[in-house]
Amino acid sequence: MGVALEQGEESSTIRLEGAIDIGLAGELKAALLKALTSGGELRISIGGATDLDVAAMQLLWAARRMADASEMRFGFEGQVQERVTAALDGSGLEFLVPKNKSN
Amino acid sequence: MHLPRTVHPDQFKQSFREEAREILVELEAALLELNKNRGDRELVGRVFRALHTIKGSGAMFGFEDLATFTHNLENAFDEVRNGRLTVGTELIDLTLSALDQIRAMLEEGANGAATADAAACAEILAKVRHLTGRPESKTGKEKAAPLEAGSKPSFEAGAGATREWSIHFAPGAEFMLNGANPLLLLQELRQMGGLSVKASMAALPPLGELDPERCYVSWDLVLATVAGREAIRDVFIFVEDGCEVTIESASRLASDADSSLDQAASGAADRTARALAESRVAGGGRRVYDAPDNASSLRVPAVKLDQFVDLVGELVTVQARLSEIASKHGDPEVAAVSEEIERLTSSLRENSMNIRMLPIRATFEKFRRLVHDLARDLGKNVELTIEGADTELDKTVIDQLSDPLMHLIRNSMDHGIEPPDLRAARGKRPTATIHLSARHSGASVLIAVSDDGGGIDGDAVRSRAIERGLVAAEAQLAQSETFALIFQPGFSTAKQVTDVSGRGVGMDVVRQRVDSLRGSIDVASTPGEGTSVTLRLPLTLAIIDGLLVTIGDACFVLPLANTQECIELTRADVAAANGKHLVNVRGELIPYIRLREHFNITAERPQIEQIMVVETEQGRYGFVVDRVLGDCQTVIKNLGRFYRHVQVVSGATILGNGAVALILDPERLAQDAVRTIAQSARGHPARSALRAEVRERSPAPQREM
Repeated sequence: MGVALEQGEESSTIRLEGAIDIGLAGELKAALLKALTSGGELRISIGGATDLDVAAMQLLWAARRMADASEMRFGFEGQVQERVTAALDGSGLEFLVPKNKSN
Repeated sequence: MHLPRTVHPDQFKQSFREEAREILVELEAALLELNKNRGDRELVGRVFRALHTIKGSGAMFGFEDLATFTHNLENAFDEVRNGRLTVGTELIDLTLSALDQIRAMLEEGANGAATADAAACAEILAKVRHLTGRPESKTGKEKAAPLEAGSKPSFEAGAGATREWSIHFAPGAEFMLNGANPLLLLQELRQMGGLSVKASMAALPPLGELDPERCYVSWDLVLATVAGREAIRDVFIFVEDGCEVTIESASRLASDADSSLDQAASGAADRTARALAESRVAGGGRRVYDAPDNASSLRVPAVKLDQFVDLVGELVTVQARLSEIASKHGDPEVAAVSEEIERLTSSLRENSMNIRMLPIRATFEKFRRLVHDLARDLGKNVELTIEGADTELDKTVIDQLSDPLMHLIRNSMDHGIEPPDLRAARGKRPTATIHLSARHSGASVLIAVSDDGGGIDGDAVRSRAIERGLVAAEAQLAQSETFALIFQPGFSTAKQVTDVSGRGVGMDVVRQRVDSLRGSIDVASTPGEGTSVTLRLPLTLAIIDGLLVTIGDACFVLPLANTQECIELTRADVAAANGKHLVNVRGELIPYIRLREHFNITAERPQIEQIMVVETEQGRYGFVVDRVLGDCQTVIKNLGRFYRHVQVVSGATILGNGAVALILDPERLAQDAVRTIAQSARGHPARSALRAEVRERSPAPQREM
């Protein structure tokens, strides 16, 4: 449960497991910055996340913007769990994760 | 929910507790009012909204059991709003009992707090379900899945039509850090009707600069609901400090804006987008805020306020030293600065004291419930009336008033007020009255508990006192002395001990508490007509204005609020009075007390002494001192336990020169003098002349024309 960064030569993956909320926000930010400063592609493995709060959502959005600015590839992988979809829709931040990644 | 290390969840739970306690007080008052006006829809609405707010916010702050329990009650009042259930005694009593359990749930986890009674909660819920015919509703943990459609309370308030509300919600930066979750707020709004949500990330900084625990997102929402602005506002009630919340009627804005936009409307999404756009147009780019939200108030822990007042007290003491030094040096520049600091200190002191002053309303109001419950338990009809609820007094005093007032009311209800059949036989109104009142009187506040019951049986009190050996069988007691016996520890004339009173403990608690507040008690009672117990309490226990006086080398402070004037007493005046301690002040004979003798001070007496004329409960008295040094701001310091029995001194203060002055209590001094004279006169007939001095204090009554 938590945030795990896996870095390869050309891409990085951040695995999100369990409820990702303000308690893990510092950890998530550090992982995102490390992955984005090392270049390559960044994948967010969201399938293990059971919940997202606003702190996590705004970090992911800031990371997406940073990736876009530095022309890095940024995307999500895994089947988005129902509660995460509900949280994104309910908060009006459904644009954060592309629909084809939500169930 | 995980919280960052910087967050202390208990801190936010505590904030919720404080807010919720206030809502529960309001809820209780509304329920008791509803009990009298059962068809009042506005009161039903007040009860419903309070329950809804406690439920919603309770779930947000982790009080899931509380939220679940309250949700069922909310459902019951939803049924009432919709006309499917009528307000009856059972519903009111059940909800009042439920409030007690909610209070207990609220305090769970707090220091030394009682826990809710699970069996009682289950019984209440079963009865509520029986009344409503609804199955048990779940919320709390089961509702914790965010944004899951739960059991929605309906907001149909009768004739109300659905309106669209445009809501702008920008949480403060600390919002999430404080343990709040914006998603739960949005979920609450969604339960009120159709909600369209647009989030804005415009304030989001670059990732590197982003504080991960701060909230940068804001929302523009359109809510289609029959609920009113107040109900929507209640959703934000626990979080609005530091947040930007605007609630505007989108419908009204739409009608004000270009009608062509209306005509082009098609589909809910378009309407939503347009309403949001129009809200900006209508405001000319500037948002309109609800006036009540702009009223700035701050919740400050009482302990911080006490520290602040303590510091002001220290400042007053240092300022007194500065004034003393300035007057010694005679330097006009230093004197000017000293005077300026004195003026500022005085102003600061007054302001700080005002911050601690609170109206007694909340303390009075909470007794409505006690009277309601006791009346039901004792089978009596009793109405509580309140007067002077806006009277302000020091928070420290208010905090200690609840217990004595509770005992006085219980005593009145149990022993004072007669059963309905006896009242009928005596030709009294079937509904008895207990009247709570408060008013200022000089530097004191008078709090009275009166009833229209049977009054105190003076003979029974006297017999019981003789039986218990408190007074001699042959003792001659004034009525006030007889009534004062009811405050003796363990004293009771009750023939049987009930759940309410009769053990002789309550009145003793009243006396002890009033003594500790340096107050006094006065009892007036007329057989068959009722009893009134008046507590005279100081307005403040911290800093007062005083007059500094000396007797020999000793300094004393007399409270300025009681002091009326100062007159000279020459040796010739003393000789002319033929040894009587009376002085003629513009035709009125005023008895005086020689403090020199009272305190056994043996220093040489000056040729001219000063009489400080002081207003007391007993009338006007003079206190003879050597010199009057002038006025002073006096920080009251406790004398400590060794001097706790010295009644005539209410504290001590440190003077500018470092010396300690005792603060005199004029009320107690006067009582002491009257008591001494009365006892002397009774015990020693030869001293009856002294008693006559007191009687002589007023001129002969004038005949009415």
